[in-house]
Parts: sequence; structure tokens; C-alpha cells
Amino acid sequence: MKTGKLLALTLICFVIGVVVTWQYGSVKSNQQIASFEKKRVSELVEDILLERSNNEKLQSRVDELQKELAAFDSEESGSKDALDKLKASVLQARMIAGLETVKGNGLTVELDALGDRIIEDRHMLELINELRASDVQAMSVNDERILATSEIRKAGRYLMVNGRQLVTPYIVKAIGDPGKMENSLRLLGGIVEKFELYEFQVTITPSDNIIIPAVRDDGTVLRTDLMTPIMP
Amino acid sequence: MNKKRSFIHFGRNQNILFIVLMFLGVFLVMQFRAVTEKTNEDGTSAREMASKLDVERSEGKKLLQTLTAMEGIYAEKLRNIGEKQGDQAFSDLLEERDRVFFRSGLTDVKGEGVILTMNDAVNPGEMAIEEYIIHDSDVTTILNELRLAGAQAISINGERVLGLTKTVCAGPTILINRSRYAVPYEFKAVGDAQKLFQALDNSEAVGILRLYNIRVEMKMATEITINRFQTYDIQELMTGLEVVAK
Repeated sequence: MKTGKLLALTLICFVIGVVVTWQYGSVKSNQQIASFEKKRVSELVEDILLERSNNEKLQSRVDELQKELAAFDSEESGSKDALDKLKASVLQARMIAGLETVKGNGLTVELDALGDRIIEDRHMLELINELRASDVQAMSVNDERILATSEIRKAGRYLMVNGRQLVTPYIVKAIGDPGKMENSLRLLGGIVEKFELYEFQVTITPSDNIIIPAVRDDGTVLRTDLMTPIMP
Repeated sequence: MNKKRSFIHFGRNQNILFIVLMFLGVFLVMQFRAVTEKTNEDGTSAREMASKLDVERSEGKKLLQTLTAMEGIYAEKLRNIGEKQGDQAFSDLLEERDRVFFRSGLTDVKGEGVILTMNDAVNPGEMAIEEYIIHDSDVTTILNELRLAGAQAISINGERVLGLTKTVCAGPTILINRSRYAVPYEFKAVGDAQKLFQALDNSEAVGILRLYNIRVEMKMATEITINRFQTYDIQELMTGLEVVAK
């Protein structure tokens, strides 16, 4: 009887031990799952807000277009109106294509290497990307306009942009919200801090009169010879 | 009866054991309930949000279709007005509009090129997990390689990449222009297919990605279609910009 009792007790304790361990493990993983879920929910909420604002913009664009179409149909609003609209639309597309010299509020970032380390293509890419992330409207590096086909290439000690060799100091001009752009560059542990570790001299100058030149329109930067448009 | 008695009679430790076991039992039940409740709650709200997102997305798709159709009608109307008037200046302007839209990325385009697909590593190695997933810097580097090799139009997951397109890491996803995308990322680039393919295949960027088991697949294609840049609000692309007359 005594061994039976002992055996039973051992068994019970063993089972409890296993259950507690298992439960503990599952609680831990459940907590992880819960934190993932929480993150997922907040990401989903962000996505929903993003989609919603996109959709609102689309809806207002649809409404606007509807009005314009209706205006075309009513005879009295003549061709003068259509001509003006067309002109405006061409100019907007030219601005997006970088075919117009533009000016506005923004900043310049002057970048020069003081130490042994040279400024490489990846450094410039990082800087440009940081500015893109803060909603820049137009950008140039040493007056080379940054467009869809603009590459940053390392060529010896210097950089090439749009097939042109640049020399230091590199001057990045950006039109956009200067405060927003400067803040994102000066973030703790951000790009300016990093560049200073590399002994690059970074000078950020906000200005309300940043002028960014148009692209050289000779077919070297805006290249379209290997593609054909699909017209609506 | 006998057996049952043997379980009940533990002698002097009986009381202590009873209390300990009861405490354990209560603790276990509470814990179990807390855990199941928690997961249920978050599970449903995530599911709810996901379905809401789906609704918004399909709404967006419908709006885009409507908009595209209307833009077609708009272009047609303009052409008709031009023809009716027989006005050369008007026709020239229409032609210029088409050309500038094409050059600025506001038109769908086709041509030969490459398709590159990138996905996170299946079997992460011993290093930090961050090393085995795709970051915005990887996307930036691939974009630069494509541009170096003379790509004339690029899209990622159907999103046209312009000069100022932002590609920002947001958790496990990447924000491209105004939308968020998760892996896999499909890069399409129109240009000299052979040149693009070779440049990518030999690039340091792709080599490093492969070293970390990130799945990179490339193929050449004789005809690739690349979507136009989707403008939600064209003014948004030029707020604060003023044209300087030459």
C-alpha cells in the first residue's frame, strides 16, 4: 500500500509539473502572439487610414473630372476653356518630368569629406532617400535634377549623377518643407550624426528661394527610346 | 473503495498538500482563461480590421477603374474638340500633352526588360533575423542598379517608381509612393533586357542579398507592361513649386 501511495503521488506531481511547464510555455508564446497581434492591428489601422485618404482623393478627382466633362458638353463653355485646361495639364506634366526650372521653399545640404573617408554612392543614396521620405517636391545634386532615371555612381574619388561627373562639395538642393526635411536628417542616430562620425562636413541651410534647374533635355537623362506608350 | 481511501489518506501532509493542489488548480484555471480570452479578443479585432481594409482596397480599385475610364473619355472629348475646330495649335498641344505624359511617367508603357522578384530568406542562418529580411535600403540599391544599367521605366509591385518616389521601411512592409507592400517585391524594368539582366546578375547588391539567402529571381522578357504613376492629387506633386521662366 505504501509504495502504491508513493507511486500515485509521484505520478500526480509529475503530471502537474508537466502541465505547469506546458502552460507557462503557452502563456509566453501567447503573449508573443498577442503582441504580434497588437502590432498587426495597429498596422492594419494605419493601412486603412492610408487607403481611406487615397480613396477620398480619388473620389474628389472623379467628381472634378465629371464636372469638367459636363462643362465640355454644355456648348457655351467654349473651346477657350478646353485650351486653357490643356495648357495647364501640359505644364503640370512638364513639372513632374523635370522639364521646368522650379523654385520654392526648401533647403540645401552641403556635403564634403574632411577626413580620409570619401563620400560614396551609398552615402548620397541614403541622403537622397531620406529627403524623398520627407515629401520632397524637387531635388538636385550639384544642379543635376533627380528624376526617375537618375543614377548615383561612384567614379574614382567622385560621384556621377545623370552621367555627369561631380566634384566636392556636393550640394543637394531640395524643395519641400524645410523643417520636416531638416528634422528627419537630424534625427538622433540619423544621417547627419552618422556622416559626422565619418568626418563629413554637413551644412544644412534652409532658404525660401531654392532654385532647381530643369533637366538637360538631350535624351541622356529622360530616356524613352526603348519603350512605347500605351494610350488610354 | 479501498483504492479511493488510499488516495485520500496522505497522513500528516494531507492538509498542506490539499492547499497546495487547490491553489495550483485555481491558478491554472485562471491562467488558462486569461490566455484564451486575450487571444480571442485580439484575433477578432485583427480580423475585423483586415476585412475593413479589404473593403477600402476594393473601393479604391473600383474608383481607379472609374477614373481611368473617365480619363479616356476626357481625352477623347479633347480630341473631338480639336478636330471639330480644325485648330492646329490645339492639335499640337494635344500631341505635346501625350508626349509629356509619356516622358513624365503618367502613361502606361511597354517594352523589353527584366523582372526581378525578391523574397525574404526561407531558412534564416545564425545571424540576427534582420539580416535575412528585405529592407528599404535593399530596394534603393536595386533601384540604383537598374538605373545604372539604363532602365527607362521601373515599377515595384505595379507601383511606378519616379525620381522622388519614396520607399520607406514600415515594419515588415515597405511604403512605396502612397501604398504599403509586403514581400515578395516584384521589380519590373523596361530597357535593354540583356544589359539590365547582366548588370543585376553581376551586381554586388544582388550578390549580397543571395549571400543572406534572400530569394532573388530574375528573368528577361520581350514585352513588359509598366503602369503609369497613379496621381491621386496632381497638386500634391507640386505644392510650393513655382515655375521659373527661362
